[in-house]
Amino acid sequence: MSLLSSLLTPQLLEATVRLSTPVTFATLAAVVCERSGVTNIAMEGVMLVGAFFAAWAGWVTGSPWIGVLGGMAAGALFSLLFAWAAVSLHINHVVAGAIMNILSFGLTRYLMMVIYGRQGSSLALAHSLQEYKFAVPGLSRIPYIGPAFFDQTPLVYLSIISVIVMAWMLKRTRLGLSIAASGEHPMALETLGRSVVKIRYTAIVLSGILCGLAGAFLSIENSDSFTEGMSGGRGFIALAANIAGGWTSGGGFLASLFFGFVDALQLRAQSLGIIRIPSEIFLAFPYVATIIAVAGLVKRSKPPAAVGKDFKVEGGEE
Amino acid sequence: MKGRIEAGDDTTSTRLRMRVALTVVALLLTLSGTVLYLASYFWGGWLLAAAVLVVVVRLLSVRGREAGIAWLKAVLTRALIPVIGIGCALAIGAIIMLSTGYDPAASYAALFYGGLVRNWSVSVLNAVPLIFTGLAIAFAFQGGLFNIGAEGQYYIGVIAATWLGLRLDLPPQLGIPLIFLVGMVFGAALNAIPAVLKVRTGAHEVVTTMMFAYAMKTVAPIFIRANGGDPTHSSHPLTTDQISDKLFLPLFKTFLPNANYRLHVGILLAIVTALVVQFILKRTNLGYKIRAVGCNPVAARTQGISVAWITIASLLISGAIAGMAGVTQVLGLDHRMYGDLNAGYGWNGISIALLARNNPVAIVFTSILWGVLDAGGQYMARTAHTPNAIIEIIKSIILFLMLAETIYEYFGSKISAWRSFRRLQRKGGRS
Repeated sequence: MSLLSSLLTPQLLEATVRLSTPVTFATLAAVVCERSGVTNIAMEGVMLVGAFFAAWAGWVTGSPWIGVLGGMAAGALFSLLFAWAAVSLHINHVVAGAIMNILSFGLTRYLMMVIYGRQGSSLALAHSLQEYKFAVPGLSRIPYIGPAFFDQTPLVYLSIISVIVMAWMLKRTRLGLSIAASGEHPMALETLGRSVVKIRYTAIVLSGILCGLAGAFLSIENSDSFTEGMSGGRGFIALAANIAGGWTSGGGFLASLFFGFVDALQLRAQSLGIIRIPSEIFLAFPYVATIIAVAGLVKRSKPPAAVGKDFKVEGGEE
Repeated sequence: MKGRIEAGDDTTSTRLRMRVALTVVALLLTLSGTVLYLASYFWGGWLLAAAVLVVVVRLLSVRGREAGIAWLKAVLTRALIPVIGIGCALAIGAIIMLSTGYDPAASYAALFYGGLVRNWSVSVLNAVPLIFTGLAIAFAFQGGLFNIGAEGQYYIGVIAATWLGLRLDLPPQLGIPLIFLVGMVFGAALNAIPAVLKVRTGAHEVVTTMMFAYAMKTVAPIFIRANGGDPTHSSHPLTTDQISDKLFLPLFKTFLPNANYRLHVGILLAIVTALVVQFILKRTNLGYKIRAVGCNPVAARTQGISVAWITIASLLISGAIAGMAGVTQVLGLDHRMYGDLNAGYGWNGISIALLARNNPVAIVFTSILWGVLDAGGQYMARTAHTPNAIIEIIKSIILFLMLAETIYEYFGSKISAWRSFRRLQRKGGRS
């Protein structure tokens, strides 16, 4: 009992929300992509590129806010390449995503050498976004939930807002409905005179911006510099969270919170050192949790009908 | 053909004998040439060239002059696409180097001198684990599955080999096969859960195998510390103790004295494995079923093939092959387990399998290409001071260009349209 009470503290809830942020962004990216019919395993790499350019832009200009914009722009541009490969060149989505990941590892390593002249970690920003932590007056006083959701850093708030906006966008707007149609029955959408190619490009670029934000969180909010390979499998965890959340924005957010919780628990248990288990076991927690989540929940949820399928208008190429 | 056989038994039997002789000569030349060339005896290349010549002669005698030449032309045309793809990727790489302030001519000179001549043995050593992981991924691909976590199975192969290598007291004739067997079982076992989940719940193997790979990587230091790794020595990479030297794989040096002292017979084992995989996929019942499920699971099911069992079998065999990569690396080269190695055999294996279009024999060549780029890249970073991460960029550009069939379809249709236009023009001119 004492073990449990020392683990489950208000700080744990706060850390849960904070650590779930990058997964939340990436999960939203997965939701919008998969709903439009594109399987996106490139998110891992897009996140990495976003993290690099966020740290670089923030370092060059001295402003972490410009860093965030840099991360978003880099994510959008880099995923445009994925869109071109998967939608226009008709490369299998999973294969194109794998190549994008390989490219992202190489690109960030190369730019590390070109810009910073070293491997490992980039130079630290003068100001990270951590300095801009603020409490929402009133709401942050609510016990437990207050400090967890309303006394956070900027991108954490933005992630929660994004969840709401994404849910609204997918359900209520013309774009959202077109995205859903593009994933369920692309030919029907095309016969209505809307371009499936354009919708999928839009969805992929949107996911790139979200992954860029996830990367920016990692490099300039949770830390103050870029580290090689810092996305650490979160792009794949987000794919799982998307499945566990049943391809919805809200469900994906809950699943991301679960992964944030596992991550926070891992950190907490490690720092307490109450259990004499090697710390690596805790570090592997999120990965094992992902497998369990996918295994347990995948059967109950239904993917969009045309997800991962290439779309070609017959005879339209000539 | 039939008419010729009836024409005279004498000439057919001498022809037949000649063809068999040519085949044997070609095989012998290929075998010895390959071994010599791999061991940096570059004159082995002449034997390989001679083998190619013999094959061409045999071909012309079997198919007749016209058909043979047409076939050769078709082969050369098919080889053109990879050559163009690699050439374009190198050109794009040169533009990137120029725009970031590096000298592409000096870099490429260092890259190819380092990879193909100076450090050729390193290129060969690099290719060994890549052939295995590439084969593993290609095997799963043939069954319609994406074993993206081959790196995890590589790790568990390394762990199995190190664990047994530190404890086994057996003669190598028994010990080495045993370690390979255990490594393969471990590799397969790591894929057992993703395989069962895929069949039972439909959980995508991309997520599950990748997560196992991350988990394996994360917990590997525990094993290293338990087997002699000393975390207080932070100046050195974390490693286990060295395995028993009785269990090292034989070196090329024992029969070819000028070969590099680190070059082990793992490369030959890898090539043999590629041939075995090719045989399994193309000539056995199991291979047929795997390819059937990979092409169209619904059609395979209507033929009475159990898609579930074939899926499980493909993932397990794939894991076993990836496990062999780890075992070969420990017994042949490392002789211990290194912690924190960012080897990337999993990701590179994906590239290699894709580039080779899942053809086991082609995987040997793409692995060697990748090995050359890696070894040459390191040499380039040391001598020309160009960051070798550019190699990773070039590799992914090669992949993009090779896989985007539409690019070639587009240009191909343009070229053929232009050709037929010219033909029409010429006809019009004559009449």
